[in-house]
Amino acid sequence: MILACKEFPIFLIVVLAGYHLLRARRWKYLWLTLASWTFYAWASPGYLWVILLLTAVDYLAALRIEASADDRVRRRWLILSIVSNLGLLGAFKYAAFVFDNALTVAGWTGFAAGDRDWEILLPLGISFHTFQGISYTVDVHRRRIPAVRSFVDYALFVAFFPQLAAGPIVRAVEFLPQMVVPPKVGWAEIELGLRFVVVGILKKFFIADQLHDLFVAPVFLDPGAYPPDIQRWATVAWAIQIYCDFSGYTDMALGLAKWFGFDLPPNFHLPYLATNIGDFWRRWHISLSSWLRDYLYFPLGGSRGSAARTYCNLMLLFVLCGLWHGAAWHWLAYGAYNGLLMGLHRVFDQIFRGAAWRKHPGWIAIAWATTAYQLLFGLVLIRMNNWETGLRLQASLLGIGTGGTALTRVPMPVILLMLAGLAGHFGAARPGIAVWLRMPGRMQNSALGAGYAASVALLVAFGPGVTKSFLYIAF
Amino acid sequence: MTPPALPDAPPRTRKGRVLLWFSAFLIAFDTAIFAFDSTWKRYSPDDYRLRVDECAHRRREIVFTGGSPVAEGVDPEILGHLSWHAQEIGNFYNLGFSGGTTSDIYFGLRHACPQTPMVLVYGITASDLNDSRHEPHGAQSFMTRDDVRDWQATRPDAGDWAARHYAKGKLAKASSLYQHRFGIRMWAASRCEELVPGSCPESATEANRQRAIDTALHRDTGYAPTLWFATRRYSEMKQGGWAAPPFAYLANYKMGSHLKYLHRMLDWAGENGVEVVLIDMPVTADLEARHPAEFAEYRRNLADASRARGVTVLNGAEVGLNDDHFADLIHMNRDGTVRFCAWLRSELWKMGEPHQPRWTVRGPAAWAEKPR
Repeated sequence: MILACKEFPIFLIVVLAGYHLLRARRWKYLWLTLASWTFYAWASPGYLWVILLLTAVDYLAALRIEASADDRVRRRWLILSIVSNLGLLGAFKYAAFVFDNALTVAGWTGFAAGDRDWEILLPLGISFHTFQGISYTVDVHRRRIPAVRSFVDYALFVAFFPQLAAGPIVRAVEFLPQMVVPPKVGWAEIELGLRFVVVGILKKFFIADQLHDLFVAPVFLDPGAYPPDIQRWATVAWAIQIYCDFSGYTDMALGLAKWFGFDLPPNFHLPYLATNIGDFWRRWHISLSSWLRDYLYFPLGGSRGSAARTYCNLMLLFVLCGLWHGAAWHWLAYGAYNGLLMGLHRVFDQIFRGAAWRKHPGWIAIAWATTAYQLLFGLVLIRMNNWETGLRLQASLLGIGTGGTALTRVPMPVILLMLAGLAGHFGAARPGIAVWLRMPGRMQNSALGAGYAASVALLVAFGPGVTKSFLYIAF
Repeated sequence: MTPPALPDAPPRTRKGRVLLWFSAFLIAFDTAIFAFDSTWKRYSPDDYRLRVDECAHRRREIVFTGGSPVAEGVDPEILGHLSWHAQEIGNFYNLGFSGGTTSDIYFGLRHACPQTPMVLVYGITASDLNDSRHEPHGAQSFMTRDDVRDWQATRPDAGDWAARHYAKGKLAKASSLYQHRFGIRMWAASRCEELVPGSCPESATEANRQRAIDTALHRDTGYAPTLWFATRRYSEMKQGGWAAPPFAYLANYKMGSHLKYLHRMLDWAGENGVEVVLIDMPVTADLEARHPAEFAEYRRNLADASRARGVTVLNGAEVGLNDDHFADLIHMNRDGTVRFCAWLRSELWKMGEPHQPRWTVRGPAAWAEKPR
């Protein structure tokens, strides 16, 4: 099941009602865990074993790690946990990619083999819950957190349905302490949850899906039919679409979690205001960036070794980050592109460290524009339908593009949607327009109520009839 | 030293104030949308409902009913006036339900004709009787609770489906905003295009098309042809390399439960003294060639019904239409409509001559007696 499907509202009402009607802690959590497993198994019940197996392995491994004083034993259990998680992730996500490339290489050597005639359906949220499992056992191994005694508690941490499909990647240290006593849900949580859910729905269904249908999909499908300036605008629209799609999901996840009393970590902080590539990755998909930093980059040595080692670590980090998103060459290219930019920025940073002009607003504006341009260039890689169309779109970004005359100007609804998306982006860090306008408290209530109602009305009247899956669910 | 007094807890009613405002504004928006109900309806007419209401407005002398081939291909204005058993008649109505099955058509007819017509002409085709087809519009638009019960008893194979869509239709009407969402969108597109020409031309064209359908449906004939069908020529499209997609309406063809409603329609006509003419609607040779078994089964059942119930079946193939007269596999274009209506007019003239016997539908008993 996904948050965008028709069955979800009914599922949510039933689960919320059951959760709040049950009084005892253990029954509440058992109910929520069973509901989360149902959510997981809805589309493909045959995959339920994946999450059950990994939950059991990580739960047991953590207990054994904690119970043992012998470092070798502790390491063995940690390795078992990591290998189980990455093994299943690799098998489901990368087997087809590896197989296809093996076939290609075999073809080069003269070994004739047919095309792959099998597909592997990716279990829901496997890229997310495997990372949660790894972070848990690593943290127990590092003695940062104690192992969880209750299997149900741990299972709920792994499978909590609002964030199961597309994150944020929650760490045990962030979630488990909230579970000690079932968190109370009052009016404040309900209202805040409503705010997140309404904003998330608006971003996803109203902005992202419509930008896709009206503009991004047709231009990316055949960019050669459109003039270069339209191709450039389509790339900008794609940047807004992917932000609204993913941050919309995150907002909905945060809001739904609030209705159960839980706080999930934020995943975005004005990413398109970043003034360098490192800054961007500290603002975009924060839970993944910080996970990769803490559980991959630092263990590799981070920036503590030689310069060459640091650049290698950066490149490895981002190549793996790219491959985490998808098993395809264009994702690998996207990772390598970001690794390269990170390396170049590091060189620049070391040469001009402490320079006074770097704090000048004029330079900040240039840095912002340069970063935005770099991001757009990279975003083409992850949306292009094939390399030919991707290179054409990138050529247009470089000002050397060519194309037809299928559309001479950006349609007005697309411009409005892009502006709405940017407003959603820049308004994300603020509690609401009422605060911006410095309204008195009473008026804030009515302004927020009107804003939510207007959002719902807008969505009903102008939202697409058929919703699409979230982009990050595919990762 | 006394500790500072704790602040009073805010009154309970203050909590959840945002939710209250949210609910209040939602109701207010919905009420505002309801106040302009007629505007949205003009931009998104419910053609089923409108046809039923307009037809029921006064007594019709001849009602033409059927699916989209009738809705697009029978123009009452071409038929003009007829002499029917020495009586001059000219009050005709096109009660075609695009996408409708025989079951939908039966219920639509019952609601549209509280005052029974003299003649009912049902332009039927194979897809009307395909039990694999379930179309939601009738259940959502004009069916009543009794109709759903009737449907569940007559067609238990699709009983849940009818109940679900009936409930969906009723639920949709609970919110004006939801009910009129398409009309609001079309209205907005139309206004945007007026204010900023070129801002949303495709949506504005669709809005104008909806307005035109609404206007046509209020003209008292029920005929509201789609421009797309009226102007296209199947022959030219074929020459241009266009291949019609598979005709899904005849997929998994099976007959039985929709057919029951054909007999219910004949029962109703017989009970009310309505003369019935069935027309086996003309379709392209390509469609017949793609689905020979389906058309054979349909015609066998139609012939059985005709014999058992004493109902005339006119053969639409006699019109002699070819690919120039169709817009696609099944819908006539304007040329086809003109030619078909001229043929229909002459056939009805012949049937209505004073010396011709009146056609009386034989009752259900006669049908039941027939070995099946």
